[in-house]
Amino acid sequence: MMPRSVSGAGTASRAMGERLVAHGLLACTVVAVVALAAVLAVLVREAGLFFADVSPWRFLTEITWAPAAAEPRFGVLPLLVGTAQVAAGAAVFALPVGLMTAVYLHQYAGGRTARLLNGVTALMAGVPTVVYGLFALHFVTPTLRVLWPGIEAFNALSACMVVGLMILPTVTVLSREALESVPAPLLDAGLALGAPKGRVVTRVLLPAASGGVLAAVLIAMARAVGETMIVTLAAGNESRLTWSPFEGLQTLTAFLTQLGMGDAATGTREFQAFFAVGAVLFVGTYGIHMAGRMLVSRSVGRTGP
Amino acid sequence: MSRPAAPADAPVLTAERLSVRFGRHIALKDVSLSIPRGRIVSIIGPSGCGKTTLLRCFSRMNELVSGARTRGKVHFAGMDLYGPDIDPVEVRRRIGMVFQKTTPFPKSVFDNIAFGPRASGFTGDLQGLVEEALTDAGLWSEVADELDTPALELSAGQKQRLCIARTLALKPDVLLLDEPTSALDPEATARIESIIRALSPRYTIVIATYNRWQAARLSDMTAFLDRGELLEYGLTETLFTNPREARTESYLTGRTQ
Ligand SMILES: Nc1ncnc2c1ncn2[C@@H]1O[C@H](COP(=O)(O)OP(=O)(O)OP(=O)(O)O)[C@@H](O)[C@H]1O
Ligand SMILES: [Mg+2]
Repeated sequence: MMPRSVSGAGTASRAMGERLVAHGLLACTVVAVVALAAVLAVLVREAGLFFADVSPWRFLTEITWAPAAAEPRFGVLPLLVGTAQVAAGAAVFALPVGLMTAVYLHQYAGGRTARLLNGVTALMAGVPTVVYGLFALHFVTPTLRVLWPGIEAFNALSACMVVGLMILPTVTVLSREALESVPAPLLDAGLALGAPKGRVVTRVLLPAASGGVLAAVLIAMARAVGETMIVTLAAGNESRLTWSPFEGLQTLTAFLTQLGMGDAATGTREFQAFFAVGAVLFVGTYGIHMAGRMLVSRSVGRTGP
Repeated sequence: MSRPAAPADAPVLTAERLSVRFGRHIALKDVSLSIPRGRIVSIIGPSGCGKTTLLRCFSRMNELVSGARTRGKVHFAGMDLYGPDIDPVEVRRRIGMVFQKTTPFPKSVFDNIAFGPRASGFTGDLQGLVEEALTDAGLWSEVADELDTPALELSAGQKQRLCIARTLALKPDVLLLDEPTSALDPEATARIESIIRALSPRYTIVIATYNRWQAARLSDMTAFLDRGELLEYGLTETLFTNPREARTESYLTGRTQ
């Protein structure tokens, strides 16, 4: 055994300090858990009241969403389609750009370029979404209307492009992590077999990282699903069931902002509908995010040593 | 520094005062040696002495490491391997390297073997080439019916033979093997060794190994590297029975590790 180097008194006071820290951390954790439980409880209670009244089947299959109408309709499909359209559209814009940036940073960029691009990425991640929304409204949409005069003032295309811009840093950073998790000897082996670098990138690096890249896209899409400000500013807030990128749409989150407008009285079915939509949003976002995380751990296990 | 008597066979690879540094760290210092055609040459020495670095010099792999600097010359079949008009991609097709860590691509067995030929624009009988490479690497009988299975599902010994086959499919002049059996059990090691022996007259083979007995069993010539310097190089039998340098002797008898 090693001789004790700490005196008994020192040990005691240090142990007390450690207990204090531990208790403090525990208290913080409890606050977080209680807050989360409270949020979930409200969500589940109000959504439960809603579904006691409107069957989940009708909720998911009817094609009109008009909770405030004289004869209210609660078909959530238009909101789901609108949300899916924005998330998928954003991914369509963000994936190629983000992935290519990641490959460039990982394989080609010199130290200075890499630092510069990392800085730009971090800066982009820090821009408030309302600023992106204003950019969509005052720059992207007017430009699109010059190109396609028929496009509506509020349209899905503009929202997809700018939400894509917003999730670009997420796609880039997570894709780069996926690329970095590919063992270097694998790339060396490709080069040692007389393949030019570009071929090693496309035939070895990208396939080996594909699981991680898919996860990156899913996690970024979960963010796009949760995005509100850009969508309301670019695509409006009017629900309709359409896949046309040139028309406006309403997403789950955009609808939820209307609760803040305060038209729906507490206890009404219209009020509860917000919580039903909130529950759908929660489950959807969480599901996509977890699917992404699962893919990350799977792909690390697959390409790792 | 000692220079061995020139071997009778014509040299296929010759290093001349080869030095490599990684940043400020010197990994190889003034190494000169000739690899005779069609022979098996072992590079032995303690961990970190520069075995891998020397092999990587022969296939121009070190320049892919940022901060690596190579000085000196390597001649390959009469040409200057580091000359200005030499394409490193072409060099790697003629001097194939198999790495210590087995590195099957996350693809099928077939696509692993076909990777090199496809990359060099091979247009002949790919099926036949793959079969030949797998046969030469002693793997054909085990995977003939499972060419479509993912290479990652093979056993450790099979993966190593797959990596050898993948390099053989390029039909290189020289085969560089870095610690080919370091991760294998004795049985799988014996298999790899017999495969190496069988390849020997057709290919010039350079093996880096920390296992001196493997060097003694397999190679015609052995080079002993110590802290980046070539201390001794000669016929394996001579080096093992009558080493010139005291350091070599103490390494071979296991007094230093
Ligand atoms: N990429 C690198 N960057 C920096 N130093 C390196 C690099 N590769 C090797 N070295 C250093 O160069 C020296 C020689 O390394 P090398 O891998 O050639 O040794 P080795 O004889 O193959 O050792 P081992 O038996 O452990 O495989 C070591 O000191 C190592 O730390
Ligand atoms: Mg080594």
